[in-house]
Amino acid sequence: MDFRAGDSWGMLACLCTVLWHLPAVPALNRTGDPGPGPSIQKTYDLTRYLEHQLRSLAGTYLNYLGPPFNEPDFNPPRLGAETLPRATVNLEVWRSLNDKLRLTQNYEAYSHLLCHLRGLNRQAAAAELRRSLAHFCTSVQGLLGSIAGVMAALGYPLPQPLPGTEPTWAPGPAHSDFLQKMDDFWLLKELQTWLWRSAKDFNRLKKKIQPPAAAVTLHLEAHGF
Amino acid sequence: MLTLQTWTVQALFIFLSTESLGELLDPCGYINPESPVVQLGSNFTAVCVLKEKCMDYFHVNANYIFWKTNHATVPHEQYTVINRTASSVTFTDISLLNIQLTCNIRTFGQIDQNVYGIRIISGLPPEKPKNLSCIVKEGEKMTCQWDPGRETYLETNFTLKSEWATEKFDDCKTKRDNPTSCTVDYSPVYFVNIEVWVEAENALGKVASDHINFDPVDKVKPFPPHNLSVSNSEELSSILKLTWINSSIKSFMKLKYDIQYRTKDASTWSQIPPEDTASTRSSFTVQDLKPFTEYVFRIRCMKEDGKGFWSDWSAEESGITYEDRPSKAPSFWYKMEPSHTHGCRPVQLIWKTLPPFEANGKILDYEVTLKRWKSHLQNYTVNDTKLTVNLTNDHYIATLTARNLVGKSDASVLPIPAYDFQGNLAESKCYLITVTPVYDNGPGSPQSIKAYLKQAPPSKGPTVRTKKVGKNEAVLEWDQLPVDVQNGFIRNYTIFYKTNIGNETAVNVDSSHTEYTLSSLTSDTLYMVRMAAYTDEGGMDGPEFTFTTPKFAQGEIEAIVVPVCLAFLLTTLLGVLFCFNKRDLIKKHIWPNVPDPSKSHIAQWSPHTPPRHNFNSKDQMYSDGNFTDVSVVEIEANDKKPFPEDLKSLDLFKKEKISTEGHSSGIGGSSCMSSSRPSISSSDENESAQNTSSTVQYSTVVHSGYRHQVPSVQVFSRSESTQPLLDSEERPEELQLVDNVDGSDVILPRQQYFKQNCSQHETSPDVSQFERSKQVSSVNDEDFVRLKQQQISDHISQSYGSGQMKMFQEVSAADAFGPGTEGQVERFETVGMEAVIDEGMPKSYLPQTVRRGGYMPQ
Repeated sequence: MDFRAGDSWGMLACLCTVLWHLPAVPALNRTGDPGPGPSIQKTYDLTRYLEHQLRSLAGTYLNYLGPPFNEPDFNPPRLGAETLPRATVNLEVWRSLNDKLRLTQNYEAYSHLLCHLRGLNRQAAAAELRRSLAHFCTSVQGLLGSIAGVMAALGYPLPQPLPGTEPTWAPGPAHSDFLQKMDDFWLLKELQTWLWRSAKDFNRLKKKIQPPAAAVTLHLEAHGF
Repeated sequence: MLTLQTWTVQALFIFLSTESLGELLDPCGYINPESPVVQLGSNFTAVCVLKEKCMDYFHVNANYIFWKTNHATVPHEQYTVINRTASSVTFTDISLLNIQLTCNIRTFGQIDQNVYGIRIISGLPPEKPKNLSCIVKEGEKMTCQWDPGRETYLETNFTLKSEWATEKFDDCKTKRDNPTSCTVDYSPVYFVNIEVWVEAENALGKVASDHINFDPVDKVKPFPPHNLSVSNSEELSSILKLTWINSSIKSFMKLKYDIQYRTKDASTWSQIPPEDTASTRSSFTVQDLKPFTEYVFRIRCMKEDGKGFWSDWSAEESGITYEDRPSKAPSFWYKMEPSHTHGCRPVQLIWKTLPPFEANGKILDYEVTLKRWKSHLQNYTVNDTKLTVNLTNDHYIATLTARNLVGKSDASVLPIPAYDFQGNLAESKCYLITVTPVYDNGPGSPQSIKAYLKQAPPSKGPTVRTKKVGKNEAVLEWDQLPVDVQNGFIRNYTIFYKTNIGNETAVNVDSSHTEYTLSSLTSDTLYMVRMAAYTDEGGMDGPEFTFTTPKFAQGEIEAIVVPVCLAFLLTTLLGVLFCFNKRDLIKKHIWPNVPDPSKSHIAQWSPHTPPRHNFNSKDQMYSDGNFTDVSVVEIEANDKKPFPEDLKSLDLFKKEKISTEGHSSGIGGSSCMSSSRPSISSSDENESAQNTSSTVQYSTVVHSGYRHQVPSVQVFSRSESTQPLLDSEERPEELQLVDNVDGSDVILPRQQYFKQNCSQHETSPDVSQFERSKQVSSVNDEDFVRLKQQQISDHISQSYGSGQMKMFQEVSAADAFGPGTEGQVERFETVGMEAVIDEGMPKSYLPQTVRRGGYMPQ
């Protein structure tokens, strides 16, 4: 019977040890791995920053294209520009997507848009505009990296571009000047919509990833012994 | 003369040598290394190699070489002649930055000839750049600066390198005039972390600083807010509202602000508390300002979380708070003209303009009222700062208020005494005598003093009460006596206190106090306290006050109760824990588990037939049916059926397997066990062996009896008594079996029965069959055997209704099968043997029992 009593003291000692080590439990301290939260916040901020950049860039570029593109009520039908990924998506469809799918769509869309943007940059004649476009390109590049980072943090694989479908900007068939401008116009418009959508996506993701408080007790038990 | 000669000789020599050497620029030798860069403080060796042609010409060799540094000959100790053509010189601990080293030869005739010259440049390798920091000014590109470390004395290039995780950016090379900072070529992308480091490189080495990784948005120095404007409020004169326009960076970055202000004339800035301006905004209302005062403001901003840099200050902007009514009236006085006509006196009232901080605005006019006794109010509105009125000789009270746009000030009052002022003063009344000096330019500050014509003792004593009563002390407090009852200046108080029985104690207290703490009181005691106030003329006692000191100090009870409760709780907890762990022991001592005989199954059995008799009766009963042993097994199966708990005991039985083997082997050897062989489908499966196992457990008893040849009756004597059951309750492993009373009870007789059977069948043909097949040479064909076993067990389950007899028939069938395939049969026998050893009974036994369904002998 003695060993039974010893057993209880052992249990008591164990309990005390657990209590003593409570402050060291990482889940309570919240000083450990911050998780994907900060990187999502950063990506969200980056989309907002890109929206800001695009506002001024689009104004400059549309002025550069000249009328009627710089007219505020100019709203042409989407002719051509088929290669551009469409940001417009049915709300139901959008909601039904899971995080991984949404992130993948975002990543692929910006990969495409970036290529087109680089083409835009090559065409632009005005030095100041080229600089703005170059900076915007770099920023979109940064956004791609950022999205990739979020996907990695969430454990999603990065979409692999299929061979042959690698988006490359080509001067394209001999468009008329007007149609070319129309493509540019739509590129900017799609960018705007995509950025708006991405901001929403990341805001949604950010709220979702907020670490739940219930996880604390769970971690504690795992750590106790 | 000598120098001239030397010069001539040299000139001649040069001429000759150039002529002979053909080319002017072709040196006579060379120094290796050609253009050395040496670390300061290190050693350096140079070698001068002469050309053969030259040596021949001048008839010299390496021994003739001597070295000069900056035109000074190097001591010969530092030379080393390597061979005929080469000589080296070694310098230790080079400290000069720039050394001109020449290799010379002394030719025949003491003429010095310069062979070759080099320049030794010395310096230091670059140190690791430290304190790398970057700043991103809004609208500009990123600039980083660092501490380059010690002076290298050499041309050192710094390169600022930057990269993303995914992409490298162009290097930033420093300008020569500013080697400690560099501005990159690209605009930084906010919200994407960038890694930056700087590399320093010169002829002596290359070193990189620590890498820093940051988000450029955390290094931003924004533009200051612009278009700052200040507006006041007519409702509140103490506030000014600032509005401004933020830089465009706020559309993606939150800002906080720093607002400073000062009055126009002040030189130091006041600060708005930072917590009030810690979020993005474009206006702010500054409060607690003085009315009608001009303030100057400036503002700057930075990222809300404090990362980055403050912007520059905005342009200063000023604004004036709105007017408020004058905070006070001007003090004023009067002048009386000495000459006056009968019953009338001209009085001039004079005052000064209010200073701006009291006027709180532009003073529009002043209002003067004159009041004679209780009647007759005269009003005057004056723009000037003086007023002359004709008054009678009566006593007047003059008031003055100043008025601005917002309102009037409070009135200041000036009594103008009657022409022949004198009064009757009463004794023991307090008078306030005020003297105001009047200078040419206005009144001075008045001085007042309280005075009594004659003092008297107070007419009432102070009323004392307790403010707080503790265990050993009490805080007494009282009010100052009203002026009416003081009758003089209160000089001191005396507190008298006593207990019911004790002496009275007196304490003197200064008159400025209104509180006193009595200490060293006894707890739980009634105290009486009273107080007297004394003037110069005497004192007066106040009413008596009683209070009782409490028995316990505040918190004392809690201090005792709480630890006691905690200790009790802990003790209880430990006690419970202890009891919990020792519960078995306690249970044994306090409420031992006395079995209820009425619930004992053996007790139920006993009245009918003792197990021995039961067995016997069974034996007899079945003997009527001409098949004795078989029918017994059948009953046992039935008995077990209503006890699915058997399954639980399985594990225990498995543990007992080893002992089981031994026991069963003794039985298995007998032909009666071989009768159950056909129902063994596989020797690996233990699950269906439970019934058998329980049988085996009790076969321990049987076995010992068997081995020692003790009559089986002994075994039953154990079952008859209830005492072994009690024992078994203390041993859980046996408890399981005891729970299974019916089964075990039956098992015992069954075992016994088997035993008997065995003895009966010892000479049966089965044994001979078994022994016979053993002699047959072994052929391993397990598959076949299994197939046969399966068939057999199937047969058994189907034909269970006919009982064990059928099984025996099957066995005999299998045996009969033997002659055809002798080897296989032999194997089959062996498998059956193993199964009996392992489990003691056929696997398919329980299912058979279950299938038997509702049939229960009891």
